[in-house]
Amino acid sequence: MRDVIVIGAGGGGPVVAKELAAKGLDVLVLEAGPRHAKPRDEWTTFENDANNPLSGYFRLGPTDRSKPAWYREWPQNSFVWQLSGVGGTTQHFYGNYPRAYPGVFKGYDGADRNEYDVNHRFPFTYKEMVPYFEWVEALMPVQTAAMGHKEQLFFKGAETMGLPVQTTKTTLRASYRPQENAILQPQGTAGKTSDKNLLNFPQAKGCTFCGYCFQGCMRPKGAPRNQFAKRSTDNSYVPMALTAEVWATGGRPAELIADAYVTQVHSEKRNGVLTATGVTWRDNVTGDEHREDAKVVVMAGGCTENPRLWFNSGLPNPNDWVGRGYTDHFFDWMIGSFDDYTGNPKGVGSSARLDYPPYGGLENVGLPPALSAFSASLSDSGIRGQYKNGRGATGPWDGPAGRVAGPELKELLSGGIDKLLTVLVITDDDVEAQNRVTLSALPADENGPIPKVTFKQRQRTKRTLKNREFMARKAAELLRGAGAKKVYRIDWAPLILHVQSSMRMGESENNSVLDARGESRAVKRLFIADNSALPNGLGGPNPTLTSQALATRTAEKIFQTYFGGDPWVLKEAPVVSTDPRISVRLGQLGL
Amino acid sequence: MPTAVPLARRAFLARIGILGAALGGGGLLTRSLLNPADAATNPLLPPTVDLLRPVLAALARDTMNGLTVFCQPGPDAYSRTQGTVSKTPGAMESGATNFIIESLDNFVPFPDALAQPIGAAMVTGLADTGIVLPGLELLPPQLRQLDKALAALLQSDEALPLSLPIAMLLNLMATQVNPLAVNGPHLSPFARLTYAEKASAFELIEKTDADLVALLDVQFPEPLKESVSGLLKFVGGALIEFGTFGAYSEYAVFDPKTRKLKGRPVSWQLSGYQPDGPVEGWDDFIGYYQGRTEVHD
Ligand SMILES: Cc1cc2nc3c(=O)[nH]c(=O)nc-3n(C[C@H](O)[C@H](O)[C@H](O)COP(=O)(O)OP(=O)(O)OC[C@H]3O[C@@H](n4cnc5c(N)ncnc54)[C@H](O)[C@@H]3O)c2cc1C
Ligand code: SF4
Repeated sequence: MRDVIVIGAGGGGPVVAKELAAKGLDVLVLEAGPRHAKPRDEWTTFENDANNPLSGYFRLGPTDRSKPAWYREWPQNSFVWQLSGVGGTTQHFYGNYPRAYPGVFKGYDGADRNEYDVNHRFPFTYKEMVPYFEWVEALMPVQTAAMGHKEQLFFKGAETMGLPVQTTKTTLRASYRPQENAILQPQGTAGKTSDKNLLNFPQAKGCTFCGYCFQGCMRPKGAPRNQFAKRSTDNSYVPMALTAEVWATGGRPAELIADAYVTQVHSEKRNGVLTATGVTWRDNVTGDEHREDAKVVVMAGGCTENPRLWFNSGLPNPNDWVGRGYTDHFFDWMIGSFDDYTGNPKGVGSSARLDYPPYGGLENVGLPPALSAFSASLSDSGIRGQYKNGRGATGPWDGPAGRVAGPELKELLSGGIDKLLTVLVITDDDVEAQNRVTLSALPADENGPIPKVTFKQRQRTKRTLKNREFMARKAAELLRGAGAKKVYRIDWAPLILHVQSSMRMGESENNSVLDARGESRAVKRLFIADNSALPNGLGGPNPTLTSQALATRTAEKIFQTYFGGDPWVLKEAPVVSTDPRISVRLGQLGL
Repeated sequence: MPTAVPLARRAFLARIGILGAALGGGGLLTRSLLNPADAATNPLLPPTVDLLRPVLAALARDTMNGLTVFCQPGPDAYSRTQGTVSKTPGAMESGATNFIIESLDNFVPFPDALAQPIGAAMVTGLADTGIVLPGLELLPPQLRQLDKALAALLQSDEALPLSLPIAMLLNLMATQVNPLAVNGPHLSPFARLTYAEKASAFELIEKTDADLVALLDVQFPEPLKESVSGLLKFVGGALIEFGTFGAYSEYAVFDPKTRKLKGRPVSWQLSGYQPDGPVEGWDDFIGYYQGRTEVHD
């Protein structure tokens, strides 16, 4: 019997594993996908090789790329971007680590307090969350992002908008700033040369501005895994969890098994109370099933997979909120084309942002060609100049919203990928019961019935729709201010990658799955500690920092409730994830 | 003597492209070939099916050529037909057709559970699509055999690649937009459309209450009904989105064995992306905005 089994080694799971391994608990982490222990041998810098959702090394599927990916049903034009593997979806994220807006927490009394998703607030205060933010920020570490040309241009646009620069961690008002990123900033030769021979660790440290965040960070070359620039969990929390004995007094290394797909969470009635007892998992390679029992089970499979596992385990769903309330920041995409060099595909995907509570926010996003082309063609508004699919909004952008496709797209990209600046429009979107995960009626896979993700993008709440239009206009204003000669609005179909709140924590037992401690209301000793546990869409900030802060808090609750321990975040200082003791131990382990 | 196929049925086979691909002017089967062949590879199916399979594959590929040049036009014949020919390389050079066929055929790990019923529903359920096409009454009675072979294939448990029913769907829409597309260059009606007509075909597919999609649903039992229409809604968008992704990726020149490129991808040539190939880093670090390297509350 284990102390704790964590299901999923993505953005959230490794946080609980690391924190509880540090306290000496016996922790088992089961990850459905691959463990990329040798990225230099397994990864490239190529877009299709990396990100083809069916066969790329970053996909939702088992290690063996000749086996099919795990198909998920989306009954609408949309794309749900989740990855399997150690690091989960953080493997190709950008490490943008802003804090959730204070307005989404209980007790917020700012002048704009009624303008947030007031029915779905965090069940505790922002003030209570701050130490957990600080803990994760120090551990990663989160740093103010260096500026490349695309950021310089973004700021040039932001400077024309009459907004202040944010110089605090907390977002207090509409403002712009460099990102706070979970990325080691450039040192030595990094960012200063394109000469391969000068970019080896330790001559180069931190971000080399390679521009391959989407294809996985394995830079600088020769750095130990926990000193790669980008702090995806495969480079940060997982190495810490696996080496807890060397950096934490009384720590005990967690055990991690990859290609281990959890198909069942087991439960039984104890003294009349339904209680989690363990899991069954399936080995992707052999097909063998294994069962392990634990005192506490933590689900961290992500917003789409947790509801599926819940349903397939036959766990109760008394208020019908399992899988509901899925938020995605109802993104949109705005492309500016410029006469001059923008540096678009270089450096971290995004290092500049503009926050606009209570509407949402904006950030620059640099992409290589195939992803640029994909982003220009994902639309709910038809094709510019051809058809509008019932939409095609007009506004301060050029022409109607819609796909830039065919000859127009070719012309745009042929003007030079480094003459574009693209802005992600992030909406503060409401928790809505209709946006949800259910089981699909399509054939089950080897792990059981598959999930279906339904988003009714055209029927979102008035507030959500209004916020999206507001932010889209701000994005156009920013691009014009930066000097764009043409601005295109794509009106994205749902691109679901800021995922939140499908197993939400909440104050009311009528519309939440988790109580304020992160434990499920229906099954005791069953916790959820990833983005699905978030109570709402955070107001628009990228979710991982807040999700990890919440997972840290949940780890404390687990330790207090079931292992008789004391909370530590207010008393201790975290060890930083780049600690050389971790590097040395990883070397001994061949990682 | 086989009985003649009803007119509506002929029209349907013409519209999804099969009639033209098999028997039309540039058709792949001479009519005599449709007379019973000797030995069948699958004893449960009529021998004509053996002749039909490569026709269907060629039809699907031709249709997808029409699709990928829609995503990325180039100097080729399909782009010319579309009216958007350009001097620089496009989808034919970037391997996008192979990419999209591979993607569709591997899109679901259970093609027999999906492609088969979609194909069958299309062919059995949508026959009478109510558009009168000129000249079909003159078609030979062997058409009956073609139709029978198609029906037999679709009703068998032989795995059908998803690219085929998707190609049929594109062709069906193409002939709705322009009925004259049943005849002309290329094998596929969709490939015969102009750029604007192809866009109109997508408009029909993407309409949220697309009639065709609703019609298809009727062919399926609950609870699969909505899954099929939902899937087609997804695929409608994905055809453009993934066709475009593939066309602008390194797909055609990537060697999976060495994990290196055999040439410079089309999109890199077009867009000037990393002129000297992959890098370890760039000299693009300017400094910190307003000189600030940390912030605190
Ligand atoms: C392109 C992109 C860019 C992004 N950029 C940012 C950014 O800059 N900042 C930010 O904050 N966020 C960003 N995100 C979002 C970020 O990736 C997510 O917030 C984060 O990964 C969510 O963590 P999670 O643990 O909820 O889910 P995931 O990271 O998806 O992890 C879930 C893990 O659980 C595993 N799993 C699922 N089911 C099972 C099972 N049954 N058994 C075993 N294992 C299972 C999965 O394989 C996976 O590894 C980005 C996302 C994308 C796609
Ligand atoms: S840009 Fe920086 S953080 Fe991103 S992959 Fe390259 S080195 Fe890593």
